[in-house]
Amino acid sequence: MTAIADVPVPTSRPTAPSPRRGRSRRRRELLQLTSTIPALIWFLVFTVGPLVSLFYFSTVNWRGLIAPRTPAGLSNFEQLFTDPIVGLAAWNTFLQLVITLPIVVLGAFMIAYYLTLKPRGHRFIRALMFTPVLLAASALAMVFVGVFAPQGMINGFLEVVGLGDLARPWLADGTTAMWAIIIVTVWCSMSVSAVMLAARLNSIDESIFEAAEIDGAGHWRRMWAIAWPMSREFIGVVTMLQFLWTLFASAAVVLLLTRGGPGNATVTLSFLVYDFAFNQSKVGYSQAVAVVLFVIGVIGILVIRRVFREKN
Amino acid sequence: MSATLDKPVVATLVDAAAAPVRRRRRGRHDALGRTGPLKYLAHAGVWAYVVLLAAPLYYLVISAFKQNVDIFQQPFSPFTPLTLDNFAKAFDQAELGVAMLNSVYVTIGAEALTLLLALPAAYGLARSRGTVGRVVERTFALGFLIPGFAALVPTVLLAIAIGLFHTREFLILFLPASALPLTVILLTQAMRAVPPELEESAVLDGAGGLRVLWSIYVPLSIPTLTVVAILNFLSFWNEYFFSLVIIGPDAALRTAQVALPTLSIANSAQYGVLAAGILITLVPAYLVYAVFADKMESAVLAGALKG
Repeated sequence: MTAIADVPVPTSRPTAPSPRRGRSRRRRELLQLTSTIPALIWFLVFTVGPLVSLFYFSTVNWRGLIAPRTPAGLSNFEQLFTDPIVGLAAWNTFLQLVITLPIVVLGAFMIAYYLTLKPRGHRFIRALMFTPVLLAASALAMVFVGVFAPQGMINGFLEVVGLGDLARPWLADGTTAMWAIIIVTVWCSMSVSAVMLAARLNSIDESIFEAAEIDGAGHWRRMWAIAWPMSREFIGVVTMLQFLWTLFASAAVVLLLTRGGPGNATVTLSFLVYDFAFNQSKVGYSQAVAVVLFVIGVIGILVIRRVFREKN
Repeated sequence: MSATLDKPVVATLVDAAAAPVRRRRRGRHDALGRTGPLKYLAHAGVWAYVVLLAAPLYYLVISAFKQNVDIFQQPFSPFTPLTLDNFAKAFDQAELGVAMLNSVYVTIGAEALTLLLALPAAYGLARSRGTVGRVVERTFALGFLIPGFAALVPTVLLAIAIGLFHTREFLILFLPASALPLTVILLTQAMRAVPPELEESAVLDGAGGLRVLWSIYVPLSIPTLTVVAILNFLSFWNEYFFSLVIIGPDAALRTAQVALPTLSIANSAQYGVLAAGILITLVPAYLVYAVFADKMESAVLAGALKG
């Protein structure tokens, strides 16, 4: 994002143009930019268009994708705030964010710092950490179908170590299902974030750390007093990505692992957007949830940006 | 990006960081003592994480080659009879062969269209020096902030409106839009680095705009082009939600990512088949990783730009 602002403008063109010259320059510029028109049209039709219409659809009463719709004003939103399922979904989403974000960002940062020290096995760890990057949401969920299944990995492990009593159907148990979803999110995003942060930390000039070492700073200090502030802005970017991923993309994990169940124990806001629209014939209502989700996303991005802004 | 962190800022940060440290040194003499206990904690912590990260993957890989009985009876042993039955079953039950071809079709189609749209756009933006160009660039930059998932339902309606609902072609048309902002911005930055003299001499030789783009700008942006192509390949190949709602469950049209979960429903107690299916759909992504391993890190970093 910020990279766009500070690209130097080459000054090989003649400066201080006369008004006439300025006009022809403007024309030449527009001529050059005609090549951007197809991309702009695409962006407008497939990204901006659907997003704008989202706000309209959130104000209609609408039972199915091909059913007629009637105006509903803001009643969808009014209903939203008293709907217990939406409340539960908001709570679950909040829980997911509050638990996932700190663990992932702090954990990934520490792992990334550890990797820059190039300890034994760091190549293996790097290669391993790349696997979740390559996993599609569906493949990720399917991996954990095997992990959490009644006769799956965890229960198998508990059996082996003699704790078979603790075994349970993790995804079908209302008290553990949401935690299982959160674990999947953390498992996947921790390594993705660590890969990104390790690449960033690698680009820090090593002499800075050496200087700190001579000055007597241990790794713990170097990590938090040098590496962290120096990559602060980038950590902000990683946090934002993590935030958006948890908020939106985890819908696929919920859909494929629990379908929101047992009961409604694992519904999240993004899952409800899908579920209301495609399974419960409440298209307009689902779009109201999508609007709320979108607003949360924008507010979250702004807050994270502020928190991680460079302090000069 | 943060990579462009100004030198003075770095200097101040280091000074600020080093100042309290210098005072600290006088209190402690033992060099090992500084990192000693923490070092072991760090090793232990990271390797504990590595085990937790590796366990599901290990379980996945060995289960794919095991018979169902052995998955239950000796879940962690790699020394059970090996079999390839699971792979055959996965191909058969989920019609994975067709699904993989559909995924290839959608991925390559979308990738080609993305570059077809992004290359001219980046070319125009890189050469423009005026305000209009800057506005266009900002417009693309805003695209980073739009989470596509929010517009899931309106996108389906768009597909219905243009008569392409339940087709792979709509996905080929739609996916490039989500990839365009990042692709255009990164390519524009790469093309800005092309020296204008090269273009001027080509124009003197009578080369037109397309020719200049194709024989000067494209060859000189190959490194960035590779990175965005990898990134787009991964996100197109791995696309799940939009494939699910737009193409739908029709076995002849669905992509690999949509076909894969059907194995879990069909084999509720047979993880082996599902595990084999996961490995099959992972092959293309892993091939890309194996071939471009050194480029992958830049691709992931470029993906982070998306924030």
